[in-house]
Amino acid sequence: MKRGLISWDRDELPVAAFDARLGALYQLCADFDVPALVAYSDVCRSNDVRYISNYMPYWNRALTVVPRGEKPILLCALSPRVYPWIKTVTVHETILPSPSLPGQLAKLCAEKGWSKLGVLDRAGLPNDLYTQLDAEKLAFVDVPRGAFRPVATESELAMHRRAAVLAREVLEGEVTPGAIGLSDYELAGRLERRFRRAGAEDLVVLISDGRGVPLPAAGNKINKNSSATVALEHNGHWVKLSRNAANVTSALPPSATADVHRELLSGRYPWEGISSQEDSLNVITSIQVMIERDENRLYYGDTGLQGPDGWRKL
Amino acid sequence: MLNRDRHRHFLELMAERGWDLLLFYGDNWRKDLFRCLVNVNFQGPQAVAALFKSGEVRAVVTDPWDLEPVAAAVNGNASLALRLADGLNALLAKEPAAVVAINGMEHMEARFVQIVRDSVRTAPVSATLDVEEIRRVKSPEEIEWIKQAADLADRGYQQFVKVCEPGMTEYELVAEVEAFVKANGAEDNFMLVASGGTEVTGMKPPTGRKFQVGDSVTTELTPQVNGYYAQICRTLVIGAPNDKQLQAYSIFAEAQQAAQDLLRPGVDISDVARVQNDVFRRHGFGEYTGPQYTRVRGHNLGLYPDELPHVLENVHYIVKPDMVLIAHPNTYLPLSGYMVFGDTLLVTGTGCVSLNKTEKKLFQS
Repeated sequence: MKRGLISWDRDELPVAAFDARLGALYQLCADFDVPALVAYSDVCRSNDVRYISNYMPYWNRALTVVPRGEKPILLCALSPRVYPWIKTVTVHETILPSPSLPGQLAKLCAEKGWSKLGVLDRAGLPNDLYTQLDAEKLAFVDVPRGAFRPVATESELAMHRRAAVLAREVLEGEVTPGAIGLSDYELAGRLERRFRRAGAEDLVVLISDGRGVPLPAAGNKINKNSSATVALEHNGHWVKLSRNAANVTSALPPSATADVHRELLSGRYPWEGISSQEDSLNVITSIQVMIERDENRLYYGDTGLQGPDGWRKL
Repeated sequence: MLNRDRHRHFLELMAERGWDLLLFYGDNWRKDLFRCLVNVNFQGPQAVAALFKSGEVRAVVTDPWDLEPVAAAVNGNASLALRLADGLNALLAKEPAAVVAINGMEHMEARFVQIVRDSVRTAPVSATLDVEEIRRVKSPEEIEWIKQAADLADRGYQQFVKVCEPGMTEYELVAEVEAFVKANGAEDNFMLVASGGTEVTGMKPPTGRKFQVGDSVTTELTPQVNGYYAQICRTLVIGAPNDKQLQAYSIFAEAQQAAQDLLRPGVDISDVARVQNDVFRRHGFGEYTGPQYTRVRGHNLGLYPDELPHVLENVHYIVKPDMVLIAHPNTYLPLSGYMVFGDTLLVTGTGCVSLNKTEKKLFQS
């Protein structure tokens, strides 16, 4: 579950940014000829709804409904006891308790007189939800993700950039020769402390001892060939970086022959592997490069924007 | 690693149900649905393990860095597919099966269920409830991992008490505890907090609120060791507790003890909830045992921090030896605001034992 600071700094991400996104979604409703658009989210698939309303289901599932020309409505499986807090960190003014998400959605449609709905990436719904919605007397129009977030906006880029700056500062301060001799658990603990005290919302730390790929800490000692990879979520925006104790770097983007792990960070999941640059135009991606040195594997990587002119570090 | 006990149990289940192939689908939220067979903390968006009638296990991972550890757990029978759809198609094309069951089918993306359906030309069936029933009773090895997690929960709570002080924010406190449990071997942690007085009606992720003298600071702290979670729930008061906080605590302690005294094989889990709620009723706070003020009176623990059955008066399930669950009468009371108190309990042959060693008291910082 998310146990970092979930917040909304309106100076950092202004209301106007959400207004612009909602405006684009109203246009999407018009394009697909639907009165409203529905987006699914859960604790590990929160990026899309975060984009719409800043809502983050730190636990459980939710549906966000965007009626054409109106404020978004949250159908929430969490207890109403947390709704006052949700309202402080999202644009949601209306939150409907929804022990059954399909049931509550059907009820809302009946009240609004809607007979069809646009569903963002409908085949990506959990199967039980998909099946239960299918049983409702509603018509669904699949809205592909490509139509929903075609290009990373300036406000998104700014948020990812802030996260990247924080990640670089902490990683480069902790993954140094001074960490040699610590256990990987201890290094993970140090990183958790610094990132979370700096307001990280979520964090995943992977560590390589130079002999294998970065993995969750397992009790190994940090040595001169160790690397740490951090996936950091800062107010809903992910970055992924790697640094190594030997301070060996790589060109980014790397050469075509480099051993590269490339991921999409603004997709449905926090990160998803992508096979080529063509798969990921105008989106936030991370590149982690494996550098061979004296039969050891060192890792170095960062997060950037994959645009039509190539990858640019944020 | 491959869970050998579960491997045998799941093969018996397949034979009993007439399934040719049993798939285990996990994603980053519900890794347990995969890890109950292949206990590897995968990092990609999804992973699938396939158990064949022959006993062979194959796996598909979606993150290149998952390939090495998962392959090591399944005799090298693991493949990488950046798009799970491609991996499922390849997996099912090799071994066409007549009857396919899926653990986690409800949670699986509908497109993946469709791929299975198209590949075998018949609808897969859900194995989730059957697998969940098997998982409720822990093996000796699983109990050892949970004991280690309970020990870490105890030490994590000591750290919580040590660092909590006026002026600190909720999220800074969580950062300190998180750092401690990670530095001591936790791979993950489920943790809710709250702070304040009678205005606090529940717990949630930490905020920027600063602790003040007189606050109740509550937590459910749930470290995970080798996949297995154990939980502790305690309440701390900053400064000296007032009479109402002490009165509230005595009710919570009495309710938790009633659950612990009752819990044994053969008991209906609904009665474990009822005896806790009866304590609140006897003290005149029966209305605070309902869903408006609380969620559950406990739950099973294991590879998922909120396993079923939930401890509720309307949930009926006969308790079995070697189940591990937490009984926690956590709720709102007008005396104190939201308060929590609970221990991880292992059901023995004749009763239960607490796996937590933390003193049962209202803590003070």
